[in-house]
Amino acid sequence: MPVRALLYTSAVKTDKATVCRIAAVLLLAAAAGGCASSQGTHRVWPKDEQGVIGRPAPPVSPPVPQPVLPGVAGEEALPEYPRTADEVSSAAVTALMRQARAALDSGKPDQAAATLERALRIEPRNYFVWSMLGQVYLAQSNYSQAASVADKSNALARGNVYVELENWRTIAAARRASGDAAGAEMAQARVADLERWLYAPSAP
Amino acid sequence: MSRRRRRSLSIGLFSALVVALSVGLFAFSAYLIGLDRQIRARFAGARWALPAQVYAAPLELYAGLDLSATELVHELGRLGYREDPRLSGTGTYLGSRGRVDVHVRPFHFWDGFQPEHRLAVRFDSAGVSAIERLDTGAQADIVRLDPMLIGSIYPQHGEDRVLVKLGEVPPLLPDGLIAVEDRHFYEHFGVSPRAISRAMLANLRAGRVVQGGSTITQQLIKNFFLSSRQTWGRKINEAFMALLLERQYGKDEILEAYLNEVHLGQDGSRAVHGFGLGAQFYFNKPLSELQPQEIALMVGLIRGPSYYNPRRHPERAKQRRDLVLGVFRDEGLIDEAAYARAVAAPLGIDGGGVGGVERYPAFVELVKRQLRGQYREEDLTDEGLRIFTTLDPRAQEALERNIVESLPEIERARKMEAGVLEAAGVITSVDGGEVLALVGGRDVRYSGFNRALDSARPIGSLVKPFVYLTALERPGEFDLVTMLPDEPVELRMPHGQLWAPRNYDKAFHGPQPLYRAIAQSLNLPTVHVGLQVGAEHVLHTLRRAGYTGEAQPLPSLFLGAVGIAPLEVAQMYATLAGGGFQAPLSAIREVQTKDGAPLSRYPIQVKQTLPDGPVYLVDWALRQVVLQGTGRGVYASLPRGAAVAGKTGTTDDYRDSWFAGFSADRVAVVWVGRDDNQPTGLSGSSGALPIWSRVMRDLGVQGIEPIEPGSIERVSVDPVSGLRADEGCSGAIEVPFMRGWGPRTWAPCANGPGNPLRWLREIFG
Repeated sequence: MPVRALLYTSAVKTDKATVCRIAAVLLLAAAAGGCASSQGTHRVWPKDEQGVIGRPAPPVSPPVPQPVLPGVAGEEALPEYPRTADEVSSAAVTALMRQARAALDSGKPDQAAATLERALRIEPRNYFVWSMLGQVYLAQSNYSQAASVADKSNALARGNVYVELENWRTIAAARRASGDAAGAEMAQARVADLERWLYAPSAP
Repeated sequence: MSRRRRRSLSIGLFSALVVALSVGLFAFSAYLIGLDRQIRARFAGARWALPAQVYAAPLELYAGLDLSATELVHELGRLGYREDPRLSGTGTYLGSRGRVDVHVRPFHFWDGFQPEHRLAVRFDSAGVSAIERLDTGAQADIVRLDPMLIGSIYPQHGEDRVLVKLGEVPPLLPDGLIAVEDRHFYEHFGVSPRAISRAMLANLRAGRVVQGGSTITQQLIKNFFLSSRQTWGRKINEAFMALLLERQYGKDEILEAYLNEVHLGQDGSRAVHGFGLGAQFYFNKPLSELQPQEIALMVGLIRGPSYYNPRRHPERAKQRRDLVLGVFRDEGLIDEAAYARAVAAPLGIDGGGVGGVERYPAFVELVKRQLRGQYREEDLTDEGLRIFTTLDPRAQEALERNIVESLPEIERARKMEAGVLEAAGVITSVDGGEVLALVGGRDVRYSGFNRALDSARPIGSLVKPFVYLTALERPGEFDLVTMLPDEPVELRMPHGQLWAPRNYDKAFHGPQPLYRAIAQSLNLPTVHVGLQVGAEHVLHTLRRAGYTGEAQPLPSLFLGAVGIAPLEVAQMYATLAGGGFQAPLSAIREVQTKDGAPLSRYPIQVKQTLPDGPVYLVDWALRQVVLQGTGRGVYASLPRGAAVAGKTGTTDDYRDSWFAGFSADRVAVVWVGRDDNQPTGLSGSSGALPIWSRVMRDLGVQGIEPIEPGSIERVSVDPVSGLRADEGCSGAIEVPFMRGWGPRTWAPCANGPGNPLRWLREIFG
């Protein structure tokens, strides 16, 4: 029946053996300093948090960049795109993104993904959330999904170059890791272009 | 001589006796050892097969959520929360106009344990405005309520249960149980000679069995091993086993086993075992929240779950309950005031009719199918897995209600035999591939034939967007204003017969712009386009959208002569709604072990399977369907400003009535027809569409705000000529084109530069 075929299968599961064995495997993994812990610890967030854009801004770039548009329109100012998720997200989604960021940073990408999915249910078109989800898939070594989800974020980003930059970084890394050298190079070129446009020293 | 003989005789007798005794003792020991082994195996090993528990998605509360105080109270009611001004225990709330206080139950979510806590949820006209934690006074950004238990996956022999621990049940339950069933439970050694002789006396006096002398231990043994067949042999077995069980295990272990084993009712083929499931089945809430009268009712049920069935024999059940309450009071377990309150209380049985745990059989069936790809049957029925699903109870309720209410309306209005129509429906999320609601037939509690999954009826005009999408992927050949012929066509089919498709109104309308051919669902232009792009390519588009069937690439495909289940139709339309990104539909989010450890996740997966530009064009046309085409009827229910997109589907002789479409956040598909495949006289617009639009209305439809991909440009077009228009053209419309492929030539009406007609118009106005 088509339905059965339709519902394949996206479970991330380690083993086809018995449930107990799976649980044991998970426990072992956790004991070995691995990822999934069963009890979510309640986190207290630092008071002065930085924005929860997918990744901290590249350290190489100067703190106050003067963005310029690519190519022909070099003189024109860049449209005012939101740079961090906080600017466009509700308090609930912002809180979930912080939680996800913390989980990702502490080596729990599964938790981070589950939390980001909660955020997406509230704001399905929040491209910051999709962008971070791409990074989570990258951390899980799920390269095809990392790239797909970054594509999805780009499709929703309405030209927001800050997010597109993050997404192209994710795509480049995903392609590199999955052995697509040519594709990675193309994505990396996109990254370089975007970085140049965004962070080039301002024209005299 | 005689003395010696006598002596040898007595020696012989003695030896024989010794031998007989030894043999007897040996046999008896073997018998006891056998019994003992059975008991250990049953009791100490995997004591119970624990069916997987299936949960709906939890309700997330946050400022900005579109939910009124009344709706929240409704949700809490569905979760079995009761009103209590003091919020004295978990599962209670206090509602007022602008504020609802809730004492939230603790719950093991997939990503961690959430302890019980108390909340104040405030509302304004837009919905939830703020959430405060009453225990700390802090504001909360987002909070989850415990999810509703919607079903379980129990084995073929039908034993279903929810395990409880003695330390976690309300003390009144074990105390009351002992008072009613076995007053000397903590003193006897498994059997109670006193109770047996008393029972025998009572039975002799009455001349029939009016009293059983069984201890709780004996009853447990009976429940564990034995059928209801009562013979002397079984009685003796039972007594010895009870003695052995008492020797092996403590009283509390035995009592806990009893609480989980005892048979409390029957729900079709499913046997309700234990007080944990009993509380869910009869009262739709956890055991820990039961009131004295509810505990009394279940304790009373032990004597005869079907005889005292509170759903079937409420009077009898109430008498029995009140009798048990009397015992509670006489034993000092409840005081006089509590007794008076309890006796005055109604039975309080959950109104689900069939029981709280089997509400959504069609959806749970989908969950089972998805799980069976990954888990063995025993894992599902025995391991107590906790399955967290995507079911949105609000969406499910809206879909069920509108199907259940609309079909009789249609039948009455069209003078059909009552009950002849059937229906199925699916609601999914737009971007994440989550199945939010599923109805498999108008009898929504029936777990049989599931039309949403298993009935593959021809989709008719629902196929057209995919025919035109195939065309719009060729920007040089087709755009939304390409003029298409609406002329008769005859096709030679593989078996040699001629096929001459017609429009639904059997008329010809002259050349039509492509978007209007979609909006008006014209058959002949669609066939012309399909022939031009080729059935192979249309089939390929269907597959990229999510079709998995085995249709042949024949021209009949262009008009939807292909059977597809509603769920798969939802998948295909979700790909259109998601801008060409396909997210495989899933009914499950996560699976947890019975101890709350995460086991597996079903993460969101997306993949761009259709190009964004052409999908954008088709979606634009699908919005024209509801603005000016066959889908106009949706605005009988929806607010005029809500942008939605959709398509009607009608098959030959009106056998199938479909509507598929989407808002900003929901995809919904509705099918109406007859199981015997006879004509209903219903088109897509008259059968499925009203149900679809009422569901969307009840879900608080959010209008689509399309995101224009970079591959699209907008051009003002004169609809008459299909050429570029400007302010000189009345009735010009703005139409999206693939970038670089919009019309460059000015329409005759345009004032555009170089238009030769311009000066003429200036002269004559």
